[in-house]
Amino acid sequence: MALLEVKNLDVRFAVRGGDLKAIRGISFSLDKGERLGLVGESGAGKSVAAFSILNLIARPGYIAGGEILFEGRNLAAMSERELRKIRGDRIAMIFQDPMMTLNPVLTVGTQMVEALKAHRRISTANARKIALERLKQVQIPSPEKRLDQYPHELSGGMRQRVIIAIALLLDPEIIIADEPTTALDVTIQAEIMALLLELCEQHNVALMLITHDLGVVSQVSQRMLVMYAGRVIEQGPTKEIINDAQHPYTQGLINALPQMGEPGRRLFQIPGSMPSLNRIPTGCPFNPRCQFANDHCREVMPEYVRSGNVDVACHEVAALIEKEKQLQEEQP
Amino acid sequence: MSTATLSRWSRFRESFLWYSFKRDKIAIVSFVVFVLIVAAGVFAPLLAPADPYDLTQINIMNSELPPMWLDGGDPQFPLGTDAQGRDLLSTILYGTRVSLLIGFGAVLLQSLLGILFGLLAGYLGGRVDALLMRVADVQLSFSTLMVAIIVGAVFKASFGNLMFGEIAIYMLILIIGVAEWPQIARTVRASVLAEKKKEYVDAAKVMGFRTNRIMFRHILPNTLSPIFVIGTVQIANAIISEAALSFLGLGMPETQPSLGSLIKSGFDYIQSGSWWITLIPGLVLVVLVLVINLLGDWLRDVMNPRLYKG
Repeated sequence: MALLEVKNLDVRFAVRGGDLKAIRGISFSLDKGERLGLVGESGAGKSVAAFSILNLIARPGYIAGGEILFEGRNLAAMSERELRKIRGDRIAMIFQDPMMTLNPVLTVGTQMVEALKAHRRISTANARKIALERLKQVQIPSPEKRLDQYPHELSGGMRQRVIIAIALLLDPEIIIADEPTTALDVTIQAEIMALLLELCEQHNVALMLITHDLGVVSQVSQRMLVMYAGRVIEQGPTKEIINDAQHPYTQGLINALPQMGEPGRRLFQIPGSMPSLNRIPTGCPFNPRCQFANDHCREVMPEYVRSGNVDVACHEVAALIEKEKQLQEEQP
Repeated sequence: MSTATLSRWSRFRESFLWYSFKRDKIAIVSFVVFVLIVAAGVFAPLLAPADPYDLTQINIMNSELPPMWLDGGDPQFPLGTDAQGRDLLSTILYGTRVSLLIGFGAVLLQSLLGILFGLLAGYLGGRVDALLMRVADVQLSFSTLMVAIIVGAVFKASFGNLMFGEIAIYMLILIIGVAEWPQIARTVRASVLAEKKKEYVDAAKVMGFRTNRIMFRHILPNTLSPIFVIGTVQIANAIISEAALSFLGLGMPETQPSLGSLIKSGFDYIQSGSWWITLIPGLVLVVLVLVINLLGDWLRDVMNPRLYKG
């Protein structure tokens, strides 16, 4: 059984004039110690997906359907009390901006001790010991000093290290990292990413990495999901998707990256932009921007088809697979 | 432990608060005057030459003596005496004590109520917010003094003069405290609305903290600077409110005068030339309120996050 299994998750925001469907029936699973990448443009629903895993969608948002099974228990139907035991303890989360995630008026030590005490019966002295231990693990310079410092006394990279230390504090099963390096300098980004990976491997923690950086995903994750307008449009082993993307959107994303060894090539651009939630087109949500779109795409939402180990939601890919099948049947 | 307090002290020495305090002459002077007045009030029983509450020390023959530097003054009474023959210096010292007690007490009560309701309204939002803020609106639509006069009059009538005299100080704290809580509640609510959108609140939720804990431990400390500023100004307001109520005869009884009731008691004699009974406590009151307001202004400048947090 998978550690985390999300089935047909539906998240909506109740606004005047009806519900906005932020997430429309996404399904995926995460095994123990696995690293899963979640990619997509801004507004694709990546962060909403992350928050809904912890059942932390704030009003007016709500989980309209589906299941979030963590070790077999459905988080979507759990009481607030039980959820609190899981949040931070079993599933931790790392946010985008380390400048904002730490409370500015509490010292690093206080925040770490608090997190420990919220979930464990532990003395302050022991909690400080564990906190110090974790700070050492994230390789922060002079960790003893940091415990009594306030967040504004630390640099961005150091703060993100502290945040990783807090995430690891209670030995969680899963860390959800929502663009953990976006707000950092490029050089620090690589360091932090490497550290996060190393620690996840060391502690056998499953990592769900949310990012719009395909480069990071391809290096880090074993499997990946590509989201578009609240749907997962392609999911499978990272290598297969990066090397041979099936969905036109994923292809577009990959072509939009500058490649080494091809100097002078004009970068590809996917025309148009992600539709806003109240104007999602009928049929395949990607159809207005897709070069292969036909009338069928504009009317019918594509189902998932399997190509290799990858699940894709695209009529065009489905048609290609069908054709191949026929060819194979004709030439036995 | 001593290292921790030491580092806290050195931290304070390096803080922006201390830095800007050292450079602001008005703040320094105001602070010194304020501390002197507070010390005079706190140590009144030690400093005062006589005990104005002790009726056996009063001699009616000494009434309305002018200050000692005027003709007919008695060196025994440096600032003269009031109509009952009490030493004015001692009475002012005790009166300052009463006024400060009411000022601080009322603001403490206001802050407790204001912070609690402001936090609940801001953080929980929805119906709780609507209900609490409407109550605040209704209360703000009455003038503080009017509410205080009505409540004070009702209490005075139901308890009788003697009984009221004994509990007057608590009554005034209660009346002024309850009448002014919406000021603080609104400020807190506004700050909470801004704070709760910040990521550290999300992070706290993700950590599995309880709502109470997030409100009081994580959000509240981040909203404290405006509360400090308003609280300071509110102390001055509360002292003025108390003086006004006392002046109207609904405040402290003349047996345990506050600055306000002293001013009032002297006012009856101002026509007969005994100006000092009103003027000297009046000056103390003005200076006290002025320095508190100046300190409040300075705090507002220092604690304005746009000026230094950036």
